[in-house]
Amino acid sequence: MWITIYYIFCYLVFGYTMLLMASYMYLVIMSSRAQRNLGINIPDDETIKYFMQGSPLTPAVSIIAPAFNEEVTILDNVNSLMKIDYPNYEIIIVNDASTDHTMELLINEYKLVEVPYDIAMKVQSKPIKRVLKSTEEKYSKLVVVDKEHGGKKADGSNAGINVCSNKYFVCTDVDCIIEPMALYRMMWIVLNSHRPVIGVSATMLMSNGCIVEDGRVVEAAVPNTLVPMFQQLEYLRSFLISKLGWSSINALPNISGGFGLFDTDVAVKSGGYDPTSMAEDVDMLLRMVTYMKNTGQDFRLGQVPKVCCWTEGPGTVKTLCRQRMRWARGLFEIISNHRKLFFNPHYGPIGAFTLPYIFIFEFIAPVLEMTGFLFMIWLVLTGGVNWDSAIILFGMIYIFSIFMSFFVLYFDYSAKAVEWQNTKISYLKLLLVTFLEPFIYHPIITYCSNVGYWRFISNQTAVWKPIQRKGVKKKKS
Amino acid sequence: MAYSTYYLQYAIGMFADYPPEVKVAVSVTVMCLILMAIMGFALILLSRKEKKLRKIRMNFEEKFGKGMDFMLSAEAQKLMSTQEIAAVFGIAKENIGKDILKNRREKEIFVQMFYLRFITERSDSANRNNITALLYLFGIPEYLEKEVSLRSMKRKVDAMGKIRTFKLPVSPWVINKLLNSKYLTVQRLAMYSNIMLSSDSDLDYFETDFFDKHCCIKDEIELAYSLQRRRRAGLKLPNLARWANIQKNERSQCMFVRLMRRFDELEYCDQLTELFKTQHRKKKLIEEISRTWGYLHYTDSEDLLIDALLAEPDDTKVAIMHALTRFATGKSLHALLEGFTNTTNPHVRFEALRCMYNYGEAGRAQFDELERNAEEGDRKFFDFFKNDITLEKIGLDKEQAYHPSVETVYNG
Repeated sequence: MWITIYYIFCYLVFGYTMLLMASYMYLVIMSSRAQRNLGINIPDDETIKYFMQGSPLTPAVSIIAPAFNEEVTILDNVNSLMKIDYPNYEIIIVNDASTDHTMELLINEYKLVEVPYDIAMKVQSKPIKRVLKSTEEKYSKLVVVDKEHGGKKADGSNAGINVCSNKYFVCTDVDCIIEPMALYRMMWIVLNSHRPVIGVSATMLMSNGCIVEDGRVVEAAVPNTLVPMFQQLEYLRSFLISKLGWSSINALPNISGGFGLFDTDVAVKSGGYDPTSMAEDVDMLLRMVTYMKNTGQDFRLGQVPKVCCWTEGPGTVKTLCRQRMRWARGLFEIISNHRKLFFNPHYGPIGAFTLPYIFIFEFIAPVLEMTGFLFMIWLVLTGGVNWDSAIILFGMIYIFSIFMSFFVLYFDYSAKAVEWQNTKISYLKLLLVTFLEPFIYHPIITYCSNVGYWRFISNQTAVWKPIQRKGVKKKKS
Repeated sequence: MAYSTYYLQYAIGMFADYPPEVKVAVSVTVMCLILMAIMGFALILLSRKEKKLRKIRMNFEEKFGKGMDFMLSAEAQKLMSTQEIAAVFGIAKENIGKDILKNRREKEIFVQMFYLRFITERSDSANRNNITALLYLFGIPEYLEKEVSLRSMKRKVDAMGKIRTFKLPVSPWVINKLLNSKYLTVQRLAMYSNIMLSSDSDLDYFETDFFDKHCCIKDEIELAYSLQRRRRAGLKLPNLARWANIQKNERSQCMFVRLMRRFDELEYCDQLTELFKTQHRKKKLIEEISRTWGYLHYTDSEDLLIDALLAEPDDTKVAIMHALTRFATGKSLHALLEGFTNTTNPHVRFEALRCMYNYGEAGRAQFDELERNAEEGDRKFFDFFKNDITLEKIGLDKEQAYHPSVETVYNG
C-alpha cells in the first residue's frame, strides 16, 4: 500500500510541475503578445507627451503618499514628486500623526497654511485633523493632510482618497522614486482603452544600486549585493511576464501598493483600502473587480511594461524574510477572504483563471515544495532514490527556471523596459543570479512562505516593521 | 545529415528504456535549451543592429543636427527656397532632387530625429512651408507614403502619425487604402487625417453607429485635434449634434456632445433636445448635454433643465445646476434652492451652494440667508467658498469662480 501512495504522490507532483511549467509558458506567450500589441499602441515617451500635454482631455490625477516619521527624507521625496512631468496632477501627502519633525518640515519648507476643506469621509479612515495648502504658487499642486494615527499605510491612503478630487489617483510610498514620465505612461493605457479602466499597474524595480540625482534615478543599475540582485530579477519576472501576461486577458490579480493607478469612484464604491488587511492592495483590487462585476459594468486593468517607479527593497536576508512572511500571510488572508471569487467565472478571467492559478501555483507551491524536500531527504536516507531519473528531472526544472529568467532579460532588452546605465554589466549580473537563484533565493522564499502560513494559521499577531532603508546613492556634484 | 540523424537516434535510444516522465523531462529541457539559443542569437543580432543604428544616428547628428535645429528656430521663420534649405544642410546645388538619403533606414533615422526635435520643442512658430520643403528635399513624403502602404501595422501607424504631425499632403489613394484597412487603429487614423486634411464639407464617417462600443478618450483627442486643424484651415465643421444622435453607444454620444462644447457649436444645440428628453437612463449623456447647453448659453433649454433638475437623480443634478447658473436668468433660483434642500447628498448640497454663490446678486442673497441659518455641521461648506486657496484647489480663481473653463468641466 505504501508503494501505491508513493507512486501516486510522485506522479501527482510530476503532473503539478508540468502544469506549472505549462502555465508559465502560457504567460510567456501572453506577455510577448501583449508586448507586441503595446509596441504598436504605445509610442515613444516624447510622442505620448506631445499628444497628451496639449489636450484639455488629459485626465487629472491625484498622487497619494502617506508618510509616518519620514523627517530624514520627506523634503527630498516631495520635491521628487513635484518634478513629475504631467500637465494636471495634485500631490496629497498624508501625515499619519508623525512623532518626529515631518509635519514641521513640510509646513516650513512649503509655507503651508490650514485651509477649510470640504471632506466627505467617503472611505473609512482615522479622523482628519486639518488640511494644509501652500501659500506659494509654485507649490499649488501640494495638499498636506494631517490626520490621527492609523498605524497602517491603508488608513493613510484612505484619508488621501477622502481628500482627492480627481477621477484617478495613484497610490505610492513617499520614499519611492517615480520616473518623470510615469503618469503619462500609465494614463496612455487609460486613454487607449475602449472600456473604462479601473486600475493600471506600473513596473516597479529596486532602487538599490541606482544613482539618484535631484529626486530622479539618473543611472539605473543592478544592485551589487546578492539579496537585492535576486529581487531585481524576481521583480522583472513578475512585472514583465506574469502581470503583463495576465493583463493581456484582463486578469491582472494585483496592482502594487508601491505605485498603482486607480479609478477614484470605483475605489470609493468598493470601500477603499482595508486597514486590517495584510495585503491591502490585492484586497482592494479584488473588491473593485467584485463591485464592477456585481453591478454588470465592463472594465479594464492594464500593465505598463516600462519601469515607472523605483523602490528600495530589503537589503538583508532578515528583512527579506520578514517581508515575505508578511506577504505569505497576506496571500493566505486574501484566499480566505475572497474565496467566493475563486474558480468563479462570474468574476471574469480573474475568477476563472488568475485566482485559481494563484491558489494552485502560488499558494500551494511552497507547501508542496517543502513536503517534496522532506520526502527527498527520507528517500535518500532509505536509499529509495533513482538517481538517473532524479538528476534528469532536477535538470529539467533547473533549465526551465533559467529559461524563464533568460526570457525576461531578452524581453527587457528588446522592449527597452529599463534603460540600464551599463547594459552589459547589468545583464551579466542578472545572468549570474539566474544560475544561483534556484539554489539560494528560492529555498529562502519557500521557507518564509511556510513560516508565514504557519503564523497565519496559528493566529500569531502580525507586527509590521518598516524596512530599514539604507537610502539610495546620490550623484556627487 | 546522416550524422545528425545518427546522433538524434542515438539520443532517443539513450532514453528508450526510461519511464515516460523522464522522456518528457528530456524533451522539455532540450526545448528550453533550443529556445534560449534562439533568444541568445536574436539578442546578438539586435545589439548589432542597434550599434549600427546608433552609428548612423551619431553621424547624422553631426551632419544634419545643426540644420534641423536652425529650421525649427525662430531665425527660420521667413519663407526659404529649396536652395537655401539645402545650403543650411550643406547639400550642394547639383544634389537637389537626387536621393540624399540612401536607403529606408537612413530615411527612418532622419525623420525620427527631426520628428523628436519637432515635438519636444513644440515648434508651432516654425515656418510650416519651410518644414515641408525640407522634408521633400530629403524625400521623406514618398518614404512615409511607402511606409503607410506596407503590411506592418506598427510602421503604418508610425508613418501616419508623422504625416499628421508634419501636416504633409498625402495622396488620396493612400487615405482610401487605409480607410479600408483591416486594423481598426489604422482605419481611424486615416479617418482623422482625412477630417483634418479633406476640403470636402460632407464627411460621412459617423453616419452609422461607427464607434459601436469601441470608443476611447484617445479617439476624442484625435478627433478634437483634427477638427481644430480643420477649423484653423477655414474649413466648415461637420454637424456634431447629428453624429451624436446617430450613435447608439453612450460613450461616443457623450464624445460628440463634448466636442460641440469645445467648438462652440451653438447653432446645432436644439438638435440635442430630443436626445435629452428620450435618453433619461443615460446619466452621463444627460450631464454632458446639460454642460454643453450651459457652456454655450443655449437659454432655450432652461425650462427643460429646471424640470430635469427636479426629476433627475443626484448624479446628474450637479451638471444641470451648473448649466442653470451659467444662464442666471433668475428663473431657476428656486430650483437651486430645492436642489440644496431636497437631498442629503453632501456633494449635491455643496454644488448647489456653489451655484447660488455665483448666481449673481439674487443668488448671493439666497446664499447669505442660508449661511445665517446654517447649522453647525453645514458651516464648513460656507467657509469653503470664502477661501482663496481652496478656490484655487478646486481649479478656479476668484474671478472665474462658477464659470468653469471647459477644461474644468471636462475634468469633472
